[in-house]
Amino acid sequence: MLRPEEMTRAVVVGSIDSLDVTIECLYELGILHLIDFTEQDEEFKLGQPLGRASGTSQKLLKLRAMIRSLEIESHKPAGRVDVKEIQAKIEQAIVTLDMNTSAKAESRQKIQSLIREKESEIKALEPFRMFIIPMEDYEGYDSISVFTGVCKTDPEPALRSRLHDYELEVNARKTDFAVALFARSEERFEAGRILAEHGFQEIKLPRLNGYPAEIISKHRVVIDDLEKDLKRIEADLESIRKHFADFIVASEEHLAIEVLKAETPLRIAVSANSFVIDGWMPTARAGELQTALDSLCCGLAFVETLPAEKHDEPPVKLKNPKPVRPFEFFIDLVSTPKYNEIDPTVVLFITFPLFLGFMVGDLGFGASLVALGIFIRAKFGGSPDARKLGAIIVAAGLMASLFGLFVFAEAFGVPFHPPEESLDEHSWEAVADIPIHPMLEKMHDVTEMLALSLLAGWLHLMLGYILGIVNTYRHNIKHAIAKVAWLLVLFGLFAEVMLVAGDATLTSETINSTILSPIPTASLEIVGIAVSYAALVFIVVGVVILPVTEGPLALTEVAGVLTNLVSYTRLAALAVGKGGMAMAFNTMFFPLIFESGNILLIIVGALFLFITQAFFVFFIGSLSAGIQAIRLNYVEFFLKFFEGGGTDFSPLKYERKHSVVTK
Amino acid sequence: MRRRKRMDTGTGLALIAAGVAVGIAALGTGVAQAQIGAAAVGATAENPKMFGKGLALMVLPETLVIFGFVIAIMLIGKA
Repeated sequence: MLRPEEMTRAVVVGSIDSLDVTIECLYELGILHLIDFTEQDEEFKLGQPLGRASGTSQKLLKLRAMIRSLEIESHKPAGRVDVKEIQAKIEQAIVTLDMNTSAKAESRQKIQSLIREKESEIKALEPFRMFIIPMEDYEGYDSISVFTGVCKTDPEPALRSRLHDYELEVNARKTDFAVALFARSEERFEAGRILAEHGFQEIKLPRLNGYPAEIISKHRVVIDDLEKDLKRIEADLESIRKHFADFIVASEEHLAIEVLKAETPLRIAVSANSFVIDGWMPTARAGELQTALDSLCCGLAFVETLPAEKHDEPPVKLKNPKPVRPFEFFIDLVSTPKYNEIDPTVVLFITFPLFLGFMVGDLGFGASLVALGIFIRAKFGGSPDARKLGAIIVAAGLMASLFGLFVFAEAFGVPFHPPEESLDEHSWEAVADIPIHPMLEKMHDVTEMLALSLLAGWLHLMLGYILGIVNTYRHNIKHAIAKVAWLLVLFGLFAEVMLVAGDATLTSETINSTILSPIPTASLEIVGIAVSYAALVFIVVGVVILPVTEGPLALTEVAGVLTNLVSYTRLAALAVGKGGMAMAFNTMFFPLIFESGNILLIIVGALFLFITQAFFVFFIGSLSAGIQAIRLNYVEFFLKFFEGGGTDFSPLKYERKHSVVTK
Repeated sequence: MRRRKRMDTGTGLALIAAGVAVGIAALGTGVAQAQIGAAAVGATAENPKMFGKGLALMVLPETLVIFGFVIAIMLIGKA
């Protein structure tokens, strides 16, 4: 929590003969994050791929080509294939399968394009099917121009009156007229104009011999034959697919792993007789590597471990308790924290559901969110990101339900009881008398909610600055002092805001009489606003320290602290806004439905209400509440301490899904 | 129905001001978000890792409308 997994530098050294076994061993363990070797010198060069690399890559290439021609990219094998079986059969399988599939896939493609060609010819000839003119007579004239195509309306009357001499074939079809016009060349422009007036669209005729009707029926026979061939080939491919898809997919996975291992020397330093593998591994598991090397490499490879030094930047593996882990999703969206930085996941785990819960604050919508989260996890469980998002939504939904149940006492935007200020408002009392009364009325205690939001903002921002101090004090004490100065400014501003609020809200009254009670309340009046002396002192001290520690430009940011603080009032704003939206719907539909006394109307109406609300209030409201809740963390909170830019811990390892190694 | 009170002109003006405060602030937010949003979508299309940063930048101007909202609430309180 708060800190990532502790890392130890590990240098594995050994004789070049044991490189193969060592790499195997590292992949099996899956705990070493390799640092790519870059600085070549006379002694140490980048390694060469292991001998088997090129042969294996070629096989892999063929397998992938096969996968494409068999169209089994997304095939999920029923069971796992033993690696021993793969190794024994792969050579022969590739030769026979390659011959079969590639030749078949090629002829399938050829046949398909031939069918397409014939079909397009049929399509072009179809309009002229009824004309008894052989295809060769449509071209090859010196003094005659030929127009072939379709017109929207019959052009014959116009042609008769405006052309001197012509030959016309017209075939009235369902929606248009197929036209073949033979006109004298000197009249071709006029003929073209007339046809254009009748919505003429030209059809280019393919160069063929014979009557169109005959050609079409011949083509049909050919297509039938081709389709039979295609079916036969498809059936062959299907039988290959049925028998070998599992094997091909599993082999592809196995060979990909083999290539990955065989190419690893390209990332490490190798001399004439030895190799050096440099990397990081979790300190907790540092012992395992030596034990594994001892037993596998028979003492030909050794590990030297060093603790992380100050200027080192080890890879980062976040370490959080299981319930907190889904919230790492939000960290991944921004940037991996640096190794020496605080990992704020646990803060997100608390604040995100709390903020969203406050903004949604409704039993009905909260429960819907929980259902949505569970649905996402069930439906898209295969993707780790979707699983995390689902868990986050469930947590936020639970919190929203709790807020809805105990704080706001409302469900689906309708309060359990009408608020005291307007007793004639619609409520669930029409259905049942729920013995819970709200602590806060969304639509009536707006100032109270604003004060609560400011309090939440103050605590959140303070935590941000404190984390900032923790992050910076070890390597830059000046920056740490600057964070203290910011903290003072923030404290002063908050004290001032609370002084102005005074007794107007319960929150400010409580804060003033508890946390802020040691601070003197003496104040002076500036343009009608009471300004606390104590708050002024805090702010001035902060403002004096800032130019010394962060430079004079930092002063421009002082107003930004107030902006940050006020920014948290979005918590209240969203809650009220969403409440207002829900109320608008309910004022329209609630009395119609629940106070009608007609059971059918109640059921149909409740469904209608549910759907409209589900869309407008739940979907839009929760989405924006989610974005706002994460924004408060990203923008207001993270900027106080978070730098990011760390390297993700990605150890040498592989995952077998379709193949399995047996002893 | 609630009994309607007669409102004086000052109160009416304050309520109009509250509406204007939210409306114009929202307009400002919209103008700012339009450009940032377009740029953020572009950046995310090139590198999906930019989504988080894009989102943070995208929602920055929303503070403006929140200011408008706070002012509106204060005006309604005074009305």
